[in-house]
Amino acid sequence: MIYYITSIALILIGMYAVLVKKNLVKMIIGLSLVDGGLHLLFIAIGYVDDATAPIFSKEGLSAAEMVDPIPQALVLTAIVIGLAVTAVALAIIIRLYDHHKTLNVNKIRELKW
Amino acid sequence: MNLNFSPVHFIAVPLFAAFLLPLLGRISQKLVTLVPGIVLLYLSAVALTLFPQAYNEPIVEIIAGWRPPFGITLVFGPLAAFLVTMITLIGFVVWIYSYRFIIRAPLEKYYMLFMLLIAGSTGIILTGDIFNLFVFLEITAIAAYSLTAFLRDHNGAEAAFKYLLIGSFASAFVLLAIIILYANVGTLNMADIAVRMGDVPAKIKLTIMILFIVGLGIEAELFPLNGWAPDAYSQAPSPIGAVFAGIVVKAAVYALMRVLFTLFDLPTSSHFLVVMGTITLLIAEMSAMRQQQIKRMLAFSSIGQMGLVLVAFGLGTREGIAAALFLMFSHAIIKTLLFFSAGYLVFFSGFKNISDLEGVGREKPWTGFFFSLGALAIIGLPPFSGFWGKFYLLISAANASHIFLIVLILFSAVIEAVYYLRVVGRLYFKKLHDIEIRRTPFTGLLAMGILAIVTITIGVYPDFIYELVLPAADELLDKAAYLQYAMMGQ
Repeated sequence: MIYYITSIALILIGMYAVLVKKNLVKMIIGLSLVDGGLHLLFIAIGYVDDATAPIFSKEGLSAAEMVDPIPQALVLTAIVIGLAVTAVALAIIIRLYDHHKTLNVNKIRELKW
Repeated sequence: MNLNFSPVHFIAVPLFAAFLLPLLGRISQKLVTLVPGIVLLYLSAVALTLFPQAYNEPIVEIIAGWRPPFGITLVFGPLAAFLVTMITLIGFVVWIYSYRFIIRAPLEKYYMLFMLLIAGSTGIILTGDIFNLFVFLEITAIAAYSLTAFLRDHNGAEAAFKYLLIGSFASAFVLLAIIILYANVGTLNMADIAVRMGDVPAKIKLTIMILFIVGLGIEAELFPLNGWAPDAYSQAPSPIGAVFAGIVVKAAVYALMRVLFTLFDLPTSSHFLVVMGTITLLIAEMSAMRQQQIKRMLAFSSIGQMGLVLVAFGLGTREGIAAALFLMFSHAIIKTLLFFSAGYLVFFSGFKNISDLEGVGREKPWTGFFFSLGALAIIGLPPFSGFWGKFYLLISAANASHIFLIVLILFSAVIEAVYYLRVVGRLYFKKLHDIEIRRTPFTGLLAMGILAIVTITIGVYPDFIYELVLPAADELLDKAAYLQYAMMGQ
């Protein structure tokens, strides 16, 4: 239960940061928090109490004694995607900063938002 | 006749080319421009070869030897065949156009991201696995963010940041939907999910559906989630604007429809789609009328057309879905043509504003001619494919006795006529400003010429495409048959 609460709290904190914060970098941190929360939620769904990692680490381990491996594999993929998005976002922020000399989203308004 | 062509090539070949291009860039810049063209030509050949097979019997490709429902499958049925062929052919024409249009900036980056866009969009359409769909959606999105910021001006970066922020929210919603879905059905194969969907409580089903609609709706330009589109379209290089309208959005709409039709039962969602599509259509057309910049106008017009497509899907009848696919095809061609010609018009006059284009059409007859032709086609005048798209939609709306809908669609066509003809009028009937006129490269004219010929040909022989979209519409409606072959009879 604690996993679910924590992950949903993380998602909400992240969304708050994206929607309310004016600093571009803080918005991206918020985005990463949302991602992190989602990953945690996914792992928590595949979790089985008192089960071990989904690897045949000792003889005679049955599938019922392991946690669900699929969420783990998927979260690994999702983490890589999140990393790529963050990298692109930071590259764009660097370029925005070069042009505007500010990270405040209110002062960067050449286009209609 | 089996040349070992397989649907995997649509994803693997452009992906491989994308990795190879930065290396080729070290050897020769010429190679960097040529290789994407060869790749897209090859993919078009594969698509056309596999096309008849897919219509006879859908091809299901198993990846890495894991049979469904455990492994990832690629499902190449009539619908996928139709859309993938469309994407590869449009991609090839975009390459012809880019050949002389993208010359200054780092070429290998442009073509690498372009290849990733192609791989991602075809992946979205081919995959039979819901998480794989998410991955391809993200590949497409990341390439699209970077291409939006490709021109090194600060507006490009701003548009890209806006797109990235909204796009990341979209993918978070899709991921959340997939997580809840997995928690309830315990499988990721879309056909398998559809089978087990019956056991899921109605409230959870609704939650998942809303998350999917919000997440995929952002990429599919559904109102009010399309705030990113006008900026991204107008700040990206012109060929990329065409790619967004012709390829990326089409793939996203496919994803939305696949999820809504196959995973969820249609009747609950269809009215929603009609209403949202109509609102998208009207708001977008009104906004397009107010635009000062030509590419922003085209972007809003593109959103409006996607509204039409959603309405057509929402009708939920066989004719309605066929009309939607016909509209998608016709819009992909015409909007690409419009973006191509607008790209050169802007390039000639040096400004993005419509008022700066006065008289350019008289000075550059071919480019102006192609823009005018595209404008007439998208409004829906008879000798062009745009007419038949709207015609089929009106017929199916009449059959479903949505009289009010017909009024709205015709009304939106009038608005379209107003703002497109305003631009065309300025191109020809105003005096030319004092601008420096440059030559249109041959490849640019060739790309526009191909698209113009296609839209006229389809306008004269609409049955050819209509015969192709009917089986594709059946695939979307006939859930049982899809489950049968996507699960390979298991």
